[in-house]
Amino acid sequence: MKRREFMLATAATAGTLILPRMTSAAEGVIDWYTSSDSNIYDFWANTVKPAFEAANPGITINLVDAGDGAGIIAIGERAIAAKQTGTDPQADYFETANPRLPAGAIEAGIYTNVKAAGLSNYSKINPLAIDSDYSLPYRGSQVLLAYDSTKLDPANTPKDWDALVEWIKANPGAFVYNRPDKGGSGGNFVRRAIHQANGLDPSLFTVDNYTEEFGNEALGKAWAILSDIAPSLYDSGAYSSGNTQSIQLLAQGVVTMTPVWSDQVLQAIDQGVLPPETGLVQLQDLALCGDFSRAVIIENGTNKDAALKLADFVLSEAIQSAILTELGGFPGVSWDYVEPALRERFSDIVPTTIPTFPSGQWEAAINDGWYRNVAPNVARDS
Amino acid sequence: MTDLTQAAASRLLTDTNHNRRPWGLLLVAVPVFLVGWLVIWPTISAIARTVWRLDAEGNYGFNLSSYVFFFSDQYSLNNLAITLWTTGMCALLLLVICLPIALYLRFSSGRLPAYVQGLAIFPLFVPSIILAYAFIRVLGPNGMVDILFNAVGLPKIRTPYLTPWGPVIGLVWDNIPLTVLILLAGLGNVANQSIEAARDVGANRLQVFWHIILPRISNSVLVALSFSILGIFSAFTLPYLLGPASPEMMGPFMQRTFREVNDPLNAITQAVIAFGFCIVFGLFYVRSVARNRGG
Repeated sequence: MKRREFMLATAATAGTLILPRMTSAAEGVIDWYTSSDSNIYDFWANTVKPAFEAANPGITINLVDAGDGAGIIAIGERAIAAKQTGTDPQADYFETANPRLPAGAIEAGIYTNVKAAGLSNYSKINPLAIDSDYSLPYRGSQVLLAYDSTKLDPANTPKDWDALVEWIKANPGAFVYNRPDKGGSGGNFVRRAIHQANGLDPSLFTVDNYTEEFGNEALGKAWAILSDIAPSLYDSGAYSSGNTQSIQLLAQGVVTMTPVWSDQVLQAIDQGVLPPETGLVQLQDLALCGDFSRAVIIENGTNKDAALKLADFVLSEAIQSAILTELGGFPGVSWDYVEPALRERFSDIVPTTIPTFPSGQWEAAINDGWYRNVAPNVARDS
Repeated sequence: MTDLTQAAASRLLTDTNHNRRPWGLLLVAVPVFLVGWLVIWPTISAIARTVWRLDAEGNYGFNLSSYVFFFSDQYSLNNLAITLWTTGMCALLLLVICLPIALYLRFSSGRLPAYVQGLAIFPLFVPSIILAYAFIRVLGPNGMVDILFNAVGLPKIRTPYLTPWGPVIGLVWDNIPLTVLILLAGLGNVANQSIEAARDVGANRLQVFWHIILPRISNSVLVALSFSILGIFSAFTLPYLLGPASPEMMGPFMQRTFREVNDPLNAITQAVIAFGFCIVFGLFYVRSVARNRGG
């Protein structure tokens, strides 16, 4: 009998322990969520968090990895539900998010209008980077072409799209890009082909002008360009499954050139994953796309004021310089607000313009269309 | 002393007898409830949501259009075909590789078989993501195999990385331990006496295998294959990292349709179709377990 009672008691205790904790968010603890890779999480844990907490005694940051974009959207949905029931969303700060998601979030009033929030550093933000009044661009990166300078003389690197296509065809098997949905380096290479097919005009594509007819016409021309180079790619048309895998193929000397994210490639060279002989080049007729990561503040979060303080802090010169030196990213503020010495050092990768491509329905259309029209490569079946 | 023990024992016996039924059922209730909640209910809801949904006019009704789309769309059919091909090829290779290992382990003794068994079980402890990157390092382009071949003046291999053979090799390696263990358990049913008896009447090795061993372990073979097939059919990590961009296996295809193409309806339809194939293998397994219990 006693044993049974003991087991029942144990089960009951275990049951209470595994129940979800129904506590409220603590005052003075900013609940921070990210969907970025671990290098970003580490940057926050090792650089931003200690500096911010030292500058603001009494406020701490609770760093939470939400996994991916869908994870952030789920927390956003929770904030909408919390707003409707007047409860605590237990979230204050999204490291990077699109304020248009989940659909209707801005109308529901869960995101703070940061333009109107009176941040002292808001005016320093690079105007190229601003996308919405509800999000705060604070770091960016752009896709470049990385190449092995022992195999390709820097003087002969392709400088525009036509030269790149010519080079790819003249060197079969020496170029690879990853599947557009599996990483932005291949994704933005595909988007560059879409720009190429549509008169090099990024302004043709906006977040809400997708229609099936326009999409099929605009994207169809790009699929033709990409299918045309497919047989000359690595392994007669194979596509790596992510940004890192492309870098790995370059590092193993399998391919000579591949599109890469600026921050990832700088880090890879710094850590010795890629040799110092790795060269970087950007197309001069129209650069490959890049994008900024934009923070979003939760309007109904318990620690909204502290979160705004954090947002302002992230735009300070110290953190923006650290984004360059430690993360290899672009600053979210205009280059005038970065230490002059750093501006000098990184002048090669300072973009004058960063073409972008809208997400929304375009993204789904590109992801589906590429797999249906470009990826199947009949000649490859051996 | 003896009386006391006997009394205690008999009380324990009646207690257990008395209590066995309700407690036993209660213990089973938790997993049954979990299976119902986390497996059966989502399955029913997925099927219901794909066949009974809003039409263009906003009325709920019976609608099979997403299934019609799947089975009339060459791209989806290619993905289904590559999944079936990969599953079948893996099952065949697993049988060819694991049956000799299991037979060797069953009929030999000493230190060497212990090492062989350890080696055969080893993949169980390697996460598939690590396996995938090790695969790229070894069998990938300019990988270890290429370097070794190059050192002795042989040409490079045609790397299976990013071809349909990539996932096959990875999945077979990953599934060796389970298959070997199940086959080994089945071989435990084969009595040494019956093999000796067969040998006495002049049966050779092949005849012993065909007439004595195989009939005894056919059930285990079926169980081992249905287990690995169920896992391989819905595999995600290895096909995603090692396989070609197109055609893709159902696992990455479903995930991509759901996440990247933002098309839950077609993703659920693909899941229901995958489920339909898996249930066939599942029924094989259930049938053979039931037959075992009955006999």
